[in-house]
Amino acid sequence: MGRRSAYWFALPAVGFLGLFLLYPFLDVLRFSTWDWSGLSEPRPIGLENYWDILQDPDFYKSLRITLVFGAMTLLPFILLSILLALALDGQPYERPVKALLFLPGLVTLGGATVAWYTLFSPEYGALASLVPVPRWDQSPFWALVLVSLFTIWRHIGYGVLVVSARLKAIPKTLLEAAAVDGASPAQTFRFITLPLLRPAITYLLVIGTVLSLQSYTAVFLLTRGGPFGGTEVLGYYLYKTGFEVGRLGYAAALTVVILLLTLFFAAAQVRLLREEK
Amino acid sequence: MRWAGHAFVGVVVFLVALPFIWMAYAAFIPPQLIFTGDIFSQLAFSLENFRVLSQEGFWDGFWGRLLFSALLTGGVTLLQLLTGFLAAYALKEGAPLLPFFLLLLAIPVELLLVPLYGLLAGLRLLDTLWALVLPFAASPFIVYLLFQGMRTVPEELLEAARLDGAGHRVLLTRILLPLLRPQLIAAGVLAFAAHWNLVLYPRIVAGSKELKTVQTWITDLQRQNPADWGPLSAAALAATLPLVIVYLLYERRIVETFEEGLKG
Repeated sequence: MGRRSAYWFALPAVGFLGLFLLYPFLDVLRFSTWDWSGLSEPRPIGLENYWDILQDPDFYKSLRITLVFGAMTLLPFILLSILLALALDGQPYERPVKALLFLPGLVTLGGATVAWYTLFSPEYGALASLVPVPRWDQSPFWALVLVSLFTIWRHIGYGVLVVSARLKAIPKTLLEAAAVDGASPAQTFRFITLPLLRPAITYLLVIGTVLSLQSYTAVFLLTRGGPFGGTEVLGYYLYKTGFEVGRLGYAAALTVVILLLTLFFAAAQVRLLREEK
Repeated sequence: MRWAGHAFVGVVVFLVALPFIWMAYAAFIPPQLIFTGDIFSQLAFSLENFRVLSQEGFWDGFWGRLLFSALLTGGVTLLQLLTGFLAAYALKEGAPLLPFFLLLLAIPVELLLVPLYGLLAGLRLLDTLWALVLPFAASPFIVYLLFQGMRTVPEELLEAARLDGAGHRVLLTRILLPLLRPQLIAAGVLAFAAHWNLVLYPRIVAGSKELKTVQTWITDLQRQNPADWGPLSAAALAATLPLVIVYLLYERRIVETFEEGLKG
């Protein structure tokens, strides 16, 4: 029996993915040149949607919020991932703690938000009956902090896993040699461990940037873009214009712009980090 | 220094676990204590919140939606494992498709709401069960995970079976299926969680009452009665617990699969 006949087994996956993933991904370009509400007959308008985006103050506001959100989430996330991976390394409780840290990323999102909401709601939340909780229902800044904390909570397990996998790949003899040569633990960390952790940190930074430019589910569940549009990240703005306002063509153009921005940021980061070396 | 490390881990563990602990606690608080705002001063236990959940008709109520979602997501998971398993086999046998799947891995599904909506509208599948199934019938991530697993199966084993006259069916069901059981379980749990946790997509492509997922049901309830914690927490707990249990059963496999994926 020829082994090539086995190639046919890829057909279902290739077919489904081609139709429901690759095709829509390319098709978004076509939609982006339409004036279309989903119900109306589409009207081709060329590049007008892109032109409108460039002049759309809400788009720029949303871009600014997204960048602030990204910085606010990524830095603590990466720092916490490194610190936790270091603190956990080789401890007897390493396994169970890692398992627990992973859990928030898998559990029912809607359920998790209910718990967060009832716990942290500033007016009638459980925590509010013990300590004062910042009014994130009125302050855009604190609302962004809440979304940021929720995002870190959900992904910290993965971050720790990435750093930890890299940490375990560092040969123990290297660290022992440094100790024999009289290096203090702080020096060993600064000059051996940290440089070797770099690929993991780069990876988290790039993946994290991509995700923070594109994610909006947490915003939808916790704040719905509020208060006063203060948490309207790009992804949420896309959802709102497409499916609440009903401008699907415009939302398609936004999709393309977000994809280009993602590509630009990821490429710039990879380049910057490479040059630094 | 060591002591500070333990304390740090302890604080983080507490903060990460806090929403879970609170969810479990809030689900059993008697309603009258919630109304008086007197939730921590006395310990009381009540199943009242779960009773409230059962008040609506079965299919439109919480338990019906939970069952619907479990069946739907379970079915989608099996489909994803099947298409992924077959595709991984083709890759293992040398099909030059790995770049194709890796490319697809980089496509952000979350951003494809508009074109998927357009595609489903064109196919007249909006507001049907198929809109929740077909776009998830295959996943590049699952293909990749299972292919990683199949790589570890020694080629000689398959060669020997082939010499004994084994066809694709025998290779797949008698040899690879049992050998890949751990990877299939881990991939299955991750696929289940990913589909179960879709929030905006089902709302957009399948908004009608019969197709509402438990996720949407809870989110809607939270919109309508944000102050009605008891039933909300009970629903959150009941919708989360099955996933937590399955995860804890296979936790070792899942974390290991992720670690292997990072090495590759």
